[in-house]
Amino acid sequence: MTELSDELLIAYVDGQLARKQTRAVEGILDQDDVLAARVDALKHAHARLEAAFEAILAGEEMDISEVPVPQDDGIFVSWRTIKIATAGLGLAVAAALAVAGYGWPLKLPGQGAEVQIDVPAQTAPQPQTSTGANR
Amino acid sequence: MQAEDFHDSVRPGLIAMLPRLMRFADVLVGARDEGAGLLSRALQLMLAEQHRYQRGTSLDVWAFAEIYRYWLSELRDHAEPVAQARIDETRFGELFYAKGNDYVDASVVAFLGSLSAPQRLTVLLVYGEGFEYEDASRILDVPPETIAARLIRISAVLADRLNARPPAQAAATVETLYPEGLRG
Repeated sequence: MTELSDELLIAYVDGQLARKQTRAVEGILDQDDVLAARVDALKHAHARLEAAFEAILAGEEMDISEVPVPQDDGIFVSWRTIKIATAGLGLAVAAALAVAGYGWPLKLPGQGAEVQIDVPAQTAPQPQTSTGANR
Repeated sequence: MQAEDFHDSVRPGLIAMLPRLMRFADVLVGARDEGAGLLSRALQLMLAEQHRYQRGTSLDVWAFAEIYRYWLSELRDHAEPVAQARIDETRFGELFYAKGNDYVDASVVAFLGSLSAPQRLTVLLVYGEGFEYEDASRILDVPPETIAARLIRISAVLADRLNARPPAQAAATVETLYPEGLRG
């Protein structure tokens, strides 16, 4: 039986190995049922983690899409909607203050002087999200 | 002017990724209410300091890093940072069981609840968000090797628990990728 560490197998499962290393591991897995079972167990663990985080995201998306329904006896507004509105209010207040020229605390505790970034003014591309994110 | 246009797009970008930001904050502090509060405060700071967002950096990487940095700064100012960083397992479990959600995986939820905040975020960023190790390391401000070492340990333990397999013997290890000193 060939022995490969979990470090190597997890790097393989996560696609972190170079092509040559990947081929070498795959060659071993084809001939070793014990290692192949370990790889399956690691993939299964990762799939369970992905499902767990997907469940949280589904809850957040559902809360955001939730529309308050007016009732005869008053107006129903969910607690989550209030929290989302609070976050949105924070965005609006900060934007308004920035436009009005009021400074916000521009330093985090323990930091030095404000960071100045010189952004070239040639083009104005949109911010991009990471290509690997939210697969 | 065009630079202003670039930074003007930060706000709608952040709003578009609000569910992901909320999940990140919730997993970080371990409860919805505290997560929403942290996110609200961090968003205000991000908008006030959006000039720090650099061209070429992914907005999500920047935003997650800012939330984490803000949480750390609040933790440092807290009288009892260790106690403050501790999570309540019951409230953490509630993150996974939203109304109308039929998700049930008590063993994984309990396992995640037993991890430290940096460990939970490492797993979230790589397996939940799909970030490369490199981006996760930028967000959490640690070397990529630390991200890899955390994932190795967490994945191995979880796989063992789910398969009821005894931990591997140290003597069985013949090849390793990372030296002991980099494991975090």
